[in-house]
Amino acid sequence: MTLHDLNRRHIFRRLGLFLVILGPGIITGSVDNDAGGITTYSVAAAEYGYGLIWTLIPSFIVLVVVQEMNARMGIVTGKGLADLIRENAGMKITFFIFLGLLLSGIGNTTTEFAGVAGSMDLFGVPKYFSVPVVAVLVWLLVVKGTYRIAERIFLVFSISLLTYVVSAIMGKPDWSSIGSAVVRPRMDMNVKSLAMVIALVGTTIAPWMQFYMQSSVIEKGLKMNQYKYTMADIIVGCIVTVIVAFFIMVACASTLFPNGIEIKEARDAALALKPLAGNLASHVFAFGLFIASIFSATILPLATAYFVCEAFGFEAGLDKKWDEAKEFYVLYTGILIISALIILIPGAPLIQISIWSQVINGVLLPVVLVSMMVLINNKKIMGTYVNNQFTNIVGWSAVVILVCLSAALLILPAITGKA
Amino acid sequence: MTSLTTFYLSGIIGKEAFDSDGEAVGIIKDLLISAVPSGQNDPNSQLVTGIKLKIKKESRYYSFRTFRVVKAREFLNVTCTDLIELNREEVENGLLLVENILDKQIVDMNGRKLVRVNDVRLATLPAGTFTVAVDVGIDGILRRIGISTPMKKILSLFKVSIPTKYILWDDVQAVDFSNLNIKLSKSVAKLHTLHPSDLADILEDIGKKSSTSVFSALDEEKAADVLEELETHAQIHIVESLPVNKVADVLEKMPADEVADILDELEDDRAELLLKEMEAESSKEVRELLEYDDDLVGSIMTTDYLSFSGTKTVEEVLQELRLKKPEAPELYNMFVTEKNDKLVGTFNLRDLVVSEPDRKIKQIMKSEPVSLYDDQKTGAIAEIVSKYNLLAVPVIDRQEQLQGMVVVDDVVEDLISERKTRKRK
Repeated sequence: MTLHDLNRRHIFRRLGLFLVILGPGIITGSVDNDAGGITTYSVAAAEYGYGLIWTLIPSFIVLVVVQEMNARMGIVTGKGLADLIRENAGMKITFFIFLGLLLSGIGNTTTEFAGVAGSMDLFGVPKYFSVPVVAVLVWLLVVKGTYRIAERIFLVFSISLLTYVVSAIMGKPDWSSIGSAVVRPRMDMNVKSLAMVIALVGTTIAPWMQFYMQSSVIEKGLKMNQYKYTMADIIVGCIVTVIVAFFIMVACASTLFPNGIEIKEARDAALALKPLAGNLASHVFAFGLFIASIFSATILPLATAYFVCEAFGFEAGLDKKWDEAKEFYVLYTGILIISALIILIPGAPLIQISIWSQVINGVLLPVVLVSMMVLINNKKIMGTYVNNQFTNIVGWSAVVILVCLSAALLILPAITGKA
Repeated sequence: MTSLTTFYLSGIIGKEAFDSDGEAVGIIKDLLISAVPSGQNDPNSQLVTGIKLKIKKESRYYSFRTFRVVKAREFLNVTCTDLIELNREEVENGLLLVENILDKQIVDMNGRKLVRVNDVRLATLPAGTFTVAVDVGIDGILRRIGISTPMKKILSLFKVSIPTKYILWDDVQAVDFSNLNIKLSKSVAKLHTLHPSDLADILEDIGKKSSTSVFSALDEEKAADVLEELETHAQIHIVESLPVNKVADVLEKMPADEVADILDELEDDRAELLLKEMEAESSKEVRELLEYDDDLVGSIMTTDYLSFSGTKTVEEVLQELRLKKPEAPELYNMFVTEKNDKLVGTFNLRDLVVSEPDRKIKQIMKSEPVSLYDDQKTGAIAEIVSKYNLLAVPVIDRQEQLQGMVVVDDVVEDLISERKTRKRK
């Protein structure tokens, strides 16, 4: 074969390669803006206007650093984060982490179904119809469909998150005051606003995502010489996450805040947008919420079941039959059913559930991050690819800040209840 | 006290060991057995030979010969009569139960899959202490967390028992040797009994470091079979992380079409380096195959085929086959060629077996054989294979020269996925 032919073929492959590698970061980023995230962003914006938009910048930096570490660990070891934690931290810490992960998985999935129920309610569909139907569809898509088809559907889904841009622009925001709010970060020194900041950071960097990111990188079979592409994928994913979050906040801040409308759920935000920004904006917002909820309701239970099985040595994976991986399928189906049932209980304390799953997330995140920092600085595991000084500084300061925030969140549960 | 005491590893790790006066000597950190489980059914490989004790913040290895584990009313007691320190070599040639087995993945040889070790069951006999089985069940998980007994009590009220699951020590193979410098080839001997595709599945799941070390411990024939079965990204990882000469030796043992598929995925420099390191004959075949685009028949055909002159007798061909001992796929379909490698007919093993020994091949062959062109699209294969029920189809170029053959094994996966996508449409 001539060298020329070879080169030409490789240019095409490089181009294809980028598209193939693109995925883990973007999907993880999109799942990030789930019903829980949308709720937190809308509540924060309705309450503080443009005042807390600046929190997206430090969140972005930590998000990139954490996901880069996950990608690097996946590429170097070829092992999932659950595997590494189990092998190096022993059974008790593993048990604590995965019990937390399982509970927050159920809590978060419940929040996703609340998003489905709330958004469909705005279109006149009662939750007793929408929730069971969506639960069954999600189950079928994952168990009977193929992973590759599901992933493509997810990617299409994630584009619909950009509907928030439409909603935001229809709300005719004041761009100059947004600019000054971002450039000059301000935070009222009271417990209520502190709790809001905790919730904002906590919802952006959820613990289960670290496991998800690392597994996707392994699934893709990425190599160290594809590091650039992986990094690009992560950064694009994080930017998408933050941009969507930004527009959700802008949409709510420019309409709800000046009118002093307080909201409790993302559904309320969609409802409140109607008289202020028009019917269409409200419907678009609700549609985005609906899609985001299904998207996360698909991935969350699946990922949670998978990581629990990985840590405790049960067979897991959609390529296995029900009999081969009974624990995996039972867990997956169980999480889905429990979450859907909670929503269907008349008068279920949805806000409490959403707050408690955030609390579990908040406690879990520093534990997972500390495990990650210890693992990634272990030469036996990472060889020459241990953290450099910069990553260590950003990583450990994030851990310290998050520990402080989570501690505050734990000490002040009464106040978060109001937030 | 009986002569047989069984206990779990988790039951003694972190506990103190006592001397004959009842004084604490140190905290038990790990147990050493003489060798990696190798399936040779050798009780000596299951003997606990050493113990790692932490004495005043310093960990050292001592011989287990002076130690005893006794069970007194549900409580485990580890006592020793003397402390004899082990030398470095003894420690390095052994296997540490906590460091290399506990919480790690091992191969369950009967289930032919990876399992995670929750605990290790041991037994003390008059002859010494031996490993008996690994605990991979839920019971082991609960015991490690320390809630096994209360959970059992609660569940017994509902007449539910916690499932226990053990695998005998003889039936497991350790694969995680992250910090061991023992002779791997000996210690993974048992893995050779697994089917290559089972072994490939296991290698894909044990992490990059272990997969490289286990793979390099396989002999070349087995390594070639396994490499063929691995998924593309695992193949690339293995090929890129092992030394070039080692990889080249393995690639020479593989069919040229499979080698071409792997090299196609590598960086050009690395592929070139490997081709140069391989024997000239094998690398030439691979280079020819690499010239074909991915979607052409030539890219998936194999150049390992058998062709004979039509003037040979059945007896002569059979003798040749006995001498050559070809791989199974080569016998699916054999070819008859004239001068310049022109394909004139095909015959198979059945035709040979049912014919008189002195018949000529051209008398028993099927003339005007069905064939594919090397520059035809791969999409044409499915139709021909199913229409004519062929296991192997000859591939010729436009000058009708025989170039290779497409074996159904190599296309069956594509066929299945094609049918699936069609069905979904």
